[in-house]
Amino acid sequence: MADRTPTHLEAWNLRLAEFEENQRVGPVRAALGRMRRNKLLLLGSVLGVAVLGTGLFGPIISGADPTYQSFSAILQPPGSEGHLLGTDHLGRDLAVRVFIGIRVSLMVAAGVTVLSLVLGLLLGMFGGFLGGWKDRMIRGTVDFVWGFPLILVAVLFAGGLGEGLFPVILAVGLVNTAAIARVVRGEVLSLSEREFVEAARAGGLSTSRIMWRHLFPNILAPALVLASYYVAVAIIAEAALSFIGLGAQPPTPSLGGMVSDGRNFLQHNVPELGQVGHWGATIPGITILLLVLAVSLIGDGLRDVFDPRLRHEAKGVDEE
Amino acid sequence: MGNSWMDPDLGPEVTELTEQYMAKKIGRRQFMKRLGVAGVGVAAAASILAACGDDEPDTVATTAAATTATTAAAATDDGATTTQAAAAPEETTATTEAAMMGPVAGGTLREGYNRDVSKHDPATTNWYDPAFFAIYEAILSNDPSGATVPQFASGYSGSDDGLEYRFTIPEGKLSHSGGTIDAEMVAEFYRSIQTYSFIAGLAAPVDTYEADGNDVVMKMKNPWVGALGPHKTGYWRIVNINTWKEHSLTADGELNAASTYGTELADGTGPFTHEEWVPGSHVLVRRWDDYPGSQTPFFENKGPAHLDAIRWTVITEAGQRATQLENGDIDTLINPAHQDIGRLESNSDLTVIRHPEWSGYHLAMNRDYPEYFGDRLTRQGLSHALDREGMVQAILFGNGAATYGPFPTTDRNYESAVEQFNQFDLDLANQKLDRAGWTMGSGGVRERDGVRFEFRYLVEDETVQKSVAEAVQAQFANVGVRANLDVVDRALAFEQQSGPGRDSVEMSLFFWLWPIPLDVLILFGGSQFIPVPNFSHAVEPRVDDAIASWQTSATEAQAQAAASQFQLAWAEELPYIPLMNQNATFVHNNKVHGWQPFVWNLYPYYNDTWIEA
Repeated sequence: MADRTPTHLEAWNLRLAEFEENQRVGPVRAALGRMRRNKLLLLGSVLGVAVLGTGLFGPIISGADPTYQSFSAILQPPGSEGHLLGTDHLGRDLAVRVFIGIRVSLMVAAGVTVLSLVLGLLLGMFGGFLGGWKDRMIRGTVDFVWGFPLILVAVLFAGGLGEGLFPVILAVGLVNTAAIARVVRGEVLSLSEREFVEAARAGGLSTSRIMWRHLFPNILAPALVLASYYVAVAIIAEAALSFIGLGAQPPTPSLGGMVSDGRNFLQHNVPELGQVGHWGATIPGITILLLVLAVSLIGDGLRDVFDPRLRHEAKGVDEE
Repeated sequence: MGNSWMDPDLGPEVTELTEQYMAKKIGRRQFMKRLGVAGVGVAAAASILAACGDDEPDTVATTAAATTATTAAAATDDGATTTQAAAAPEETTATTEAAMMGPVAGGTLREGYNRDVSKHDPATTNWYDPAFFAIYEAILSNDPSGATVPQFASGYSGSDDGLEYRFTIPEGKLSHSGGTIDAEMVAEFYRSIQTYSFIAGLAAPVDTYEADGNDVVMKMKNPWVGALGPHKTGYWRIVNINTWKEHSLTADGELNAASTYGTELADGTGPFTHEEWVPGSHVLVRRWDDYPGSQTPFFENKGPAHLDAIRWTVITEAGQRATQLENGDIDTLINPAHQDIGRLESNSDLTVIRHPEWSGYHLAMNRDYPEYFGDRLTRQGLSHALDREGMVQAILFGNGAATYGPFPTTDRNYESAVEQFNQFDLDLANQKLDRAGWTMGSGGVRERDGVRFEFRYLVEDETVQKSVAEAVQAQFANVGVRANLDVVDRALAFEQQSGPGRDSVEMSLFFWLWPIPLDVLILFGGSQFIPVPNFSHAVEPRVDDAIASWQTSATEAQAQAAASQFQLAWAEELPYIPLMNQNATFVHNNKVHGWQPFVWNLYPYYNDTWIEA
């Protein structure tokens, strides 16, 4: 334990500094200040804004139709005339399809996050605070869902609802709900033992009032931080499901579907170029990488800014 | 209208030599020598000679081996091309020495297959796969020259009036279970096909099958030039009827839905026995050591197979097929991705064999959705919206041809007058849809009588089919028609196309494959075959009349007339929208010998196949 002392001291000093900073400039400005100092968050934000910008404005600027096929211009390389990122195996403009693919990914990620955050918060709070058979029922259901591999859940939903984005949002959202509900429940269990909750109980406040006025504000920040992590998970899951044909259906472009289509030409030697037609797979693949990287960096940064305790946990401060 | 498939761009010297050989202007030895001088490699020369009808491929290999192995693309008069890239001299020598040593027994041939597997039951399957050519024998077959030759039968004859055919079954023929197969059992199995097979209508002019001593007697309702054709296909392959009845029929004589025949067991007479059948994964067959042998003239090996086993691996991802062959995961491959053919042809370890294929992609339009497809003008409008030539170049990489009627252009009965229909013309497509009453509605989708032109469009989960489907979908969108693509696995695709009325999907892409196009297309277009396999549920009197004419054709001239009538009716009435036809492509590792697919049968036989140790 001896070697823990300096770490605790550092943690204490850090929290003290943060407290003093909040006192001096206010919590919002203090948070903004921490965000500006967080290089990962800045990098993620720049990347995220760039990717988001291309997703939102790329199709408008490009003006190209993502479904338009030109059979005489298949597998054109990046930089070819009129095609910034080249064309795919059906002669469709790859750039505009990537832009639309980003939109699809973000739309799915947003849908999944909202669904999982709302459901996860509700289930976690009710289970953790109410306890008893209600908690056991919620916990059992959450553990049951959590026990299934994501892809399997998605396949089950696709079987029942058909392929497409809605089953993907539902499947990924439910699995992520389980993840968020588990963490929220743990937080609520911990908070329930704290003095301010005991005081509220003693004061005769109703259960719902305690939950919404006292618990909810305290668990919202960690839940949001957790949700930011699961945005990246949702993007990867959507890409994976589209790759195996369960996600967005043609003609809607999706990054995973484009990688799937493009891999069939990874070794195809384009005669006019004397090189293989790799771009159909590599460009959407790299886009997924950048998108996930941006979201992950932002998530990590937000965690550092808004939930210093998690950062300290990562450093082993709270290990006992 | 002839049946010349010679491609002048592929090896003109070889083409000329082949013509001279076929015309018997030069002998085989001279032919082989000159092929060598023309730069044709060992396997290529063997394949050419086999395709010319020669039955001594090993001799060919030895002779041709004396020549240098340079890159060679050899064309034969059945349209086949065989390509073998130059190999290092030491490799050529090693391969040649092994070939000269002759067949060796043993080894498992690992074959890549581009489709999921069908159950090994000729009477109830909805597709037949290469394994049918290993497990079963047909009563007759086609030889490499396209001539009909005996396979399970030792001989056959037809009466002068065309009303009776006799197939002689040799004594002592066995099935895998050890049971004797005699004429009565063969006749009974053929009668079972008539009763139970969904494809039985293909041989509708056949009246009865009876046994007469060692002969199976097939009596016809009327003379028909196509009488023997169906009996050479996978659906008429000979099964031990006793085993089949035991597993496939209920006590009431109905088909047993829970039958395991074809999935857990099969009882054929071919040189290999059914071992494993795993949908989506693989099929395994093993050599039948008690195989009594074959009389089929073009088989070199008259006894049990050389190979210990054959394993077909399902590889529905097109790009994976070539990669697995190049990596040595498989030895032979049926239909690589079209974009990979060039690369495979430049690989000195491989031989690529290409020939015309009796197949086609077409769109079924369920007429039980008359609001969409009930009128001819609408169907024609949709058809004019499709750039078939563009799809052939982009998706098949030129390895096929556009079809404006139901037949492949290379078929001997092809009617070129169909090309006046269905040409790509966007203006005409829009005009016809306008005239049919479809007006442009919200979101760029046409409407008529309050119905949006938007429907479900089914396709099997296979790379090339998906690309075709996607290309069609985008072209329909160009004329204001929204086809919502639904990609499903093979079994589900067949099920969802096969329902009666509106239980069946609105539109589906179907790829058909059959050695005699007219035979199978009458099943797709004939009104008596609704709902299966007439997936369009189309009742077209002109098509029905043409089918009747075909099935009563007693002469080749009548058959040609019926075929033309059929094609023109199809191209104009459009029970299905024809799209394109692809060439068949087979690739093998050069260590594999005696694996010689040719144009007349869908798949190669495995009696002669062996692998270098």
